[in-house]
Amino acid sequence: MKKLVKVILVIGLSVPILTACWNQKELTDLAFVMALGIDRGEDDLYHVSFQLVNPGNVSAGQSGGGQGLPIAVYKSTGRTMTEAARNATKEVSRRLYYAHTNVVVVSEEVARDRTQLLNLLDAFARDPEFRTTTEILIARDSSAEEIVTTLTILDKLPVTKITKEIKTTEAMKGENFSISIDDLIDGIVGSGKEPILNGYRLIGKQEEARKASNLTRTTTEAFLGADGLAVIKDGALIDWIESKKARGVLWVLDKVKSTDITLKWKGKKNALSIVPIRSKTKVSTIFNQGKPVINIKVENEGWISEANTAINLMDPKTIEKIEKLTEKAVKKEVQTSIKEAKRLKCDIFGFGDVVHKANPGIWKNLEKDWNNYFADLEVNVKVESYVRREGVRTNPFWSDINK
Amino acid sequence: MSILSKMLKNKQKKRQDDNYRQKQDPQKPEDLPILRDYQENISHLKEEVGNSSDVNVREFRIGAHKGALVYIDGLANMISVADYILETLMEAEVPDEPVDIFQFMLEKTMALGSVKTITNWNQVFDTLFSGDTVIFLQGFNKAISGETKGWEKRAISEPSTQLSIRGPKDSFTETLRTNTALIRRRIKSPNLRVDAMKIGTISQTDIAIMYIKGIANEKIVGEVKERLERINIDAIQGSGYIEQLIEDQSWTTFPTTYHSERPDVVTSHLLEGRIAIVVDGTPFTVTVPALFIQFFQAPDDYYSRFDISTGIRMLRILSFLIAVIGPSVYIAATTFHQEMIPTTMAIAIASQRENVPFPAFVEALIMEVTFEILREAGLRLPRAVGQAVSIVGALVIGQAAVQAGFVSPVMVIVVSITAIANFSTPVFAMAIAARLIRFVLMGLATMLGFYGIMLGLMFMTIHLCSLRSFGIPYMMPLAPFNIRNQQDAFVRFPIWAMKNRPMFISKGNMKRSGDHQKPGPPKQTENPSQNGEE
Repeated sequence: MKKLVKVILVIGLSVPILTACWNQKELTDLAFVMALGIDRGEDDLYHVSFQLVNPGNVSAGQSGGGQGLPIAVYKSTGRTMTEAARNATKEVSRRLYYAHTNVVVVSEEVARDRTQLLNLLDAFARDPEFRTTTEILIARDSSAEEIVTTLTILDKLPVTKITKEIKTTEAMKGENFSISIDDLIDGIVGSGKEPILNGYRLIGKQEEARKASNLTRTTTEAFLGADGLAVIKDGALIDWIESKKARGVLWVLDKVKSTDITLKWKGKKNALSIVPIRSKTKVSTIFNQGKPVINIKVENEGWISEANTAINLMDPKTIEKIEKLTEKAVKKEVQTSIKEAKRLKCDIFGFGDVVHKANPGIWKNLEKDWNNYFADLEVNVKVESYVRREGVRTNPFWSDINK
Repeated sequence: MSILSKMLKNKQKKRQDDNYRQKQDPQKPEDLPILRDYQENISHLKEEVGNSSDVNVREFRIGAHKGALVYIDGLANMISVADYILETLMEAEVPDEPVDIFQFMLEKTMALGSVKTITNWNQVFDTLFSGDTVIFLQGFNKAISGETKGWEKRAISEPSTQLSIRGPKDSFTETLRTNTALIRRRIKSPNLRVDAMKIGTISQTDIAIMYIKGIANEKIVGEVKERLERINIDAIQGSGYIEQLIEDQSWTTFPTTYHSERPDVVTSHLLEGRIAIVVDGTPFTVTVPALFIQFFQAPDDYYSRFDISTGIRMLRILSFLIAVIGPSVYIAATTFHQEMIPTTMAIAIASQRENVPFPAFVEALIMEVTFEILREAGLRLPRAVGQAVSIVGALVIGQAAVQAGFVSPVMVIVVSITAIANFSTPVFAMAIAARLIRFVLMGLATMLGFYGIMLGLMFMTIHLCSLRSFGIPYMMPLAPFNIRNQQDAFVRFPIWAMKNRPMFISKGNMKRSGDHQKPGPPKQTENPSQNGEE
């Protein structure tokens, strides 16, 4: 008897101690925050927009979904994120739930201010509900609120559109790539690599973006799109790398999986289109009289997806020539992006980390002034391209036209 | 826990005391001897049985001797009585010289397979109520009993509760002899022992304990007999009574005895060294000791190939888990751990639950209880009405409740999957245990989320490991882990690899098959053409 009582007592008493999950909350009492938009007001407070999902309008269930708008945006202000979040509860009927937050949009204004940007991050990293794998974006030429309030066609949830779009473009184009809050904090803390963030733009008429009528058209008046990479140095945004130059950055970071390269052939512009399907980048360093020299080796394999000129693709020599041209094009892209980064004196490629790993002793001396050192760093780029196949056609029809 | 075991010990002691007293003071009619006067015997019989209309007395005369034969209408085969007793009696030519007429009758006039001499009234009633015929003769203080058993019995039919696709299609009936014969036909070995016993002070139910000598563990055989002898109850209505009176632990939802209506299952259990208890009047034969994993072994596992059986057995174990934790995981995930559900799914569930007026637990409870009611109703109703119930049930839980907004469609899915998963357990006794535990886990999940479920499952595991079935750990061969017995646990090894009988259960003859049983094409001989000529 005594033993039984003891067992029950031990279990009973351990219940309040082991209560990490003691927070029962019904689904219907939660407001899923899908995205956060952070702006800075004239009052110097954070203006936070909470994009909440309206579940009944998202899933097409029996109860006739899709009658209203899929999202609702509430705004609140505060000196800190927590204050803003708690202030929001005065407006929202349900408990704000952050476990499913997929996107955080920060306005350019906030990002350019070091303290403003850094003050945000701890709240995200500390909250147990919030995931640090959340995507973080910078709003370009529009406020974060505008990005968060925009309705999207095709994907009912704007957040799904943003996260999926970034993943797709990372895989298919290679100008933007998925960056989480974790990556950002890592980059800010570490000295060998500066973080970059995706820029996001609202394209079209801003006043139409948040209206239901935007969803009833095949071509929307306003839509969202990724554009450029934001360079963060010393915890603040310093400049943008535009889309054209962005791919070079991703080549070096080994983030390019597939993309497209347009080549000139025998004087004809836009004659060939090469699509790499596998790409690998190795960054290594050698020390020349105690000075680090960076070697970048890009290897890619691809196929010819377009040949808009009379070209004999059956000839191995032609293929060899195309490979050479591809190598040249990729090399140029990489060099351009390195030049751009050197201009900004900001090592976004993580060359510092490579040096650190190769020779910690030398790195110790260089660490303090690395970004300035980086501006004059010798970087060698070597590209090896292979064309594996040319699609389901051998010679293009252009070869026959000329006969 | 100690209080329980103490209580049990006390009870056992008491039971033994009762048993002792019982043997001193039997409820049976007094063991009186048979009288010399047959008329007096008949009147004594009538006094004992009252005016029961099914007791038939037929007086006769053989030579100069008078006598009477008694049988129970309906239990005795009328043709046997008429043709092989009465006819031979009347046509018998009694020799003129003085003979022992009793001996004469025994030897010459009873054209029956089994004839016995009985001397007291207990034997008279025993034989009479088992369908035999008793003959009293004037001037003898003993009687003749002839076997004329022949009541109406059900033919052997297909099993109705344990179906199999490739297995034999016969099943036990309500007659003890038919059942023992069904087993005997499958094991033609003199080592198959059938020990008879009668249990039930009033019902006097016949029971046969079957085991294979040399394979079964003698200790367990002794234990089974001891436990059966200890039973002191007025009547045994079915093997369920026996199960509940001999099991090791009553305070558990898990069955520690196995029952089956399939002779092939019982046979294979006997071959593993288990002991079968065949009870008259029920088609369900009990086998002991029973282990946890045994309830997931279906007869088809052995009739189909090992890869397929292994996959299906895994599926069965998985569905048992679903049946146990299905609704509780739903409750825990939707009320505690929303972050664990993928975003789109979380939103989908949230949208369905938007207008449901109850918290998840109440919703789940309503649905589960409704389903249990429907199942119970469907079980008991006459077949004609059963269909109506299932239609109404499907409409009520499937459609109307969702449309009315009382429950969410997800809940209907969860309840349905749980219910179907529950049905895939081959033995009902184990399935019903899952049903009960499910509700406990649902409560724990409501209070503590996944932590509660884990707590419940841990307690369940500890409890399972503490169980014994006739001294054998219930979780064998998982806990205690035994590598040799894994051949028939989660993975069903190929038949040629299942060389040994399960340990502990079987003693002595452990080897099941010879070596090199793995089949394959014949090895190439040096001269293949010669091989062809042979």
